[in-house]
Amino acid sequence: MPTRINIGPVHPSTHGVLRLVADVEGDTITNLEPHIGFLHRGVEKLVETRMYMQSPPYMEKLDYVAPLAMDDAYVATVEAALGIEVKERAMYVRLIQLELQRIASHLFFTGALCNDMGLMFTMFMWCFEDRDRVLDLLAQTTGQRMFYVSMRLGGVTLDLPPDFADNCNEFLDYMEKRLGAYENFMEKNPVFMERMKGVGVLTSQEAKDLGVTGPVLRASGVPYDVRKAKPYYVYDKLHFEVQTDNRGDNLARYRVRIMEIRESARLIREALRQIPEGDAKGMPVKLIGPAAKNRTVTVSRECPRGEAMMYMVADPQKPYRLSIRSPNFVNLSALPHMAKGHRLGDLFAIMGTLDLVMACVDR
Amino acid sequence: MKIDRNELMHIVRSMKGAGYDYLVKITAVDYERSMTAIYFLREMKSGKDETLEIELDPRDAWLPTVIDTFPAADWYERELSEMFGIQIRGRIAKRLLLEKWDGTEPPFRKSFKWNSDYKTADGE
Amino acid sequence: MSDEIDHDSPEFLNARREMDLLVAGSVSEKQAKPNVVFAKFADLIKSMPPTKDAVRWSRKNSLWPLQFGLACCAIELMDFGAARVDAERKGYLLFRATPRQCDVMLVAGWVTKSMVPEIKRLYEQMAEPRYVIAFGECATCGGPWWESYNIVRGIDQVLPVDVYVAGCPPRPENLFAALIKLQNKLGGEIEDR
Repeated sequence: MPTRINIGPVHPSTHGVLRLVADVEGDTITNLEPHIGFLHRGVEKLVETRMYMQSPPYMEKLDYVAPLAMDDAYVATVEAALGIEVKERAMYVRLIQLELQRIASHLFFTGALCNDMGLMFTMFMWCFEDRDRVLDLLAQTTGQRMFYVSMRLGGVTLDLPPDFADNCNEFLDYMEKRLGAYENFMEKNPVFMERMKGVGVLTSQEAKDLGVTGPVLRASGVPYDVRKAKPYYVYDKLHFEVQTDNRGDNLARYRVRIMEIRESARLIREALRQIPEGDAKGMPVKLIGPAAKNRTVTVSRECPRGEAMMYMVADPQKPYRLSIRSPNFVNLSALPHMAKGHRLGDLFAIMGTLDLVMACVDR
Repeated sequence: MKIDRNELMHIVRSMKGAGYDYLVKITAVDYERSMTAIYFLREMKSGKDETLEIELDPRDAWLPTVIDTFPAADWYERELSEMFGIQIRGRIAKRLLLEKWDGTEPPFRKSFKWNSDYKTADGE
Repeated sequence: MSDEIDHDSPEFLNARREMDLLVAGSVSEKQAKPNVVFAKFADLIKSMPPTKDAVRWSRKNSLWPLQFGLACCAIELMDFGAARVDAERKGYLLFRATPRQCDVMLVAGWVTKSMVPEIKRLYEQMAEPRYVIAFGECATCGGPWWESYNIVRGIDQVLPVDVYVAGCPPRPENLFAALIKLQNKLGGEIEDR
């Protein structure tokens, strides 16, 4: 008879509130059932009572580790519904902000992963110090360190300050050296490699069937990236590669994210060289804005955790229905399949590499 | 494309055979007289998207399950049955997000009474 | 899928009831009396001036927090414990996940109706003296989710709160100031109203 273990809503990994009920035989998991909904507040329903530009703060609190990505997805949906074009310089500014946000989010992932696995606090402190530097850079351009609300219809709130390019390049040089130190720290550790290699394997057919997205999908060998498949802003003018790895285990998912930090650094450098002069400010926020032209719109964005797709049915001044496809929802639904047959200790390593944010799971 | 719910399982299976092997989302919209369930499918090789729309009557809302073709549909169907009251036939779709919910009305329908007394600027 | 969890089964009862049953079963009548005398004597010593100040000083400088980050404010909580705004220099070290070893419960994030029984159970498991800091707008008053159907409007509807921190999310320096205010309250420098 299997024993039932409750890994309750409050547990010391940093992912939020999730209850896992695991049936174990000895130490091996035979069945896993996630109970979610401890953070559900009905965002999709709340947005229906607000005007368009009153909702970005709601969208940012969905994925709170990379709030700019969800903010951008929502504002792009509203712009598509209202038929507003983004100014050219603003596209470059938004791209730079999004890629900086991606670096910050992947640094958070690295620190939290090592915390979950028990390499307590060394990597956490290093990664958070570097993430603080990225947040300083973002604060120079948006004015806030978390929950920016810096996207306006057709542009951004504040333009890049004059010395931003120097600060940014200096940080990126420092970051690339630090990545070498991180890889040294983690990959020369035999316990870390033992817990990551060959654990939690997801083949590419399983990944497509289960519907996972983002770095989890790319680490299983499926080279799908929204920035290449449906390019938005100026991604089609800049050069970058889609990072894949065809092993599909924990090590692959971790490596894909570290390589994505390097690709983001490359993108930011190129964007800073190519950025045109001009005006990047968007329309000021008014309660009654321009009326919506298109009735239904669908917009996809590549958040650091996966693809976020927003489907909106637009009334003239507020959304009639906003449906948010959050990447963490599908990634978590793949966890029971991935954890079967592994030990309880491996469960936390697998969950750490999935990089979940629970507020995005229960919208 | 608009389809009928009785052909849903057959069409989904044939689309998967034709290369549309990734289910992006299952969602629904409540237009008070009718409800529309929408399935988003994608072909991974070329990145093409396709949507299937099914119109339902709110008083007789049920859909067959597609879980044997796409295991990703599991949690989406549970969320749909909980939030919109659409019964999913062919499986037991238990509560997902509001497990200890004591209300009776599905929350995302337009007829759900909640205490949002915020009035938008044009008085709705 | 496996069977449903039985939420009325004995394993999910109130923690205090479990503890009472355990304690009643293990402590017999004869052994109880000297314990009571010792406890009363210790309380007397602790309330007399020199030891009282020593006890107060040691309590306020060694607060151990319960790592109870629910949502976005948890990220600022982690920044608070990280290297820039260091929480350890004021004695606020060792963020534990088990409430048995903790003094302060930092409620960071919005509280939904499904989460209320869990919060109550954690609060009851903490040993006295225990304090609660409501961190952020959502724990203070419900925050941006004021009108949602699944939200408790502020943690003070469930627990007694000592310090409220405003902000969405509050900066880590803000939380540091709240910590100092809590320490002043323990040290008797602020009147508890």
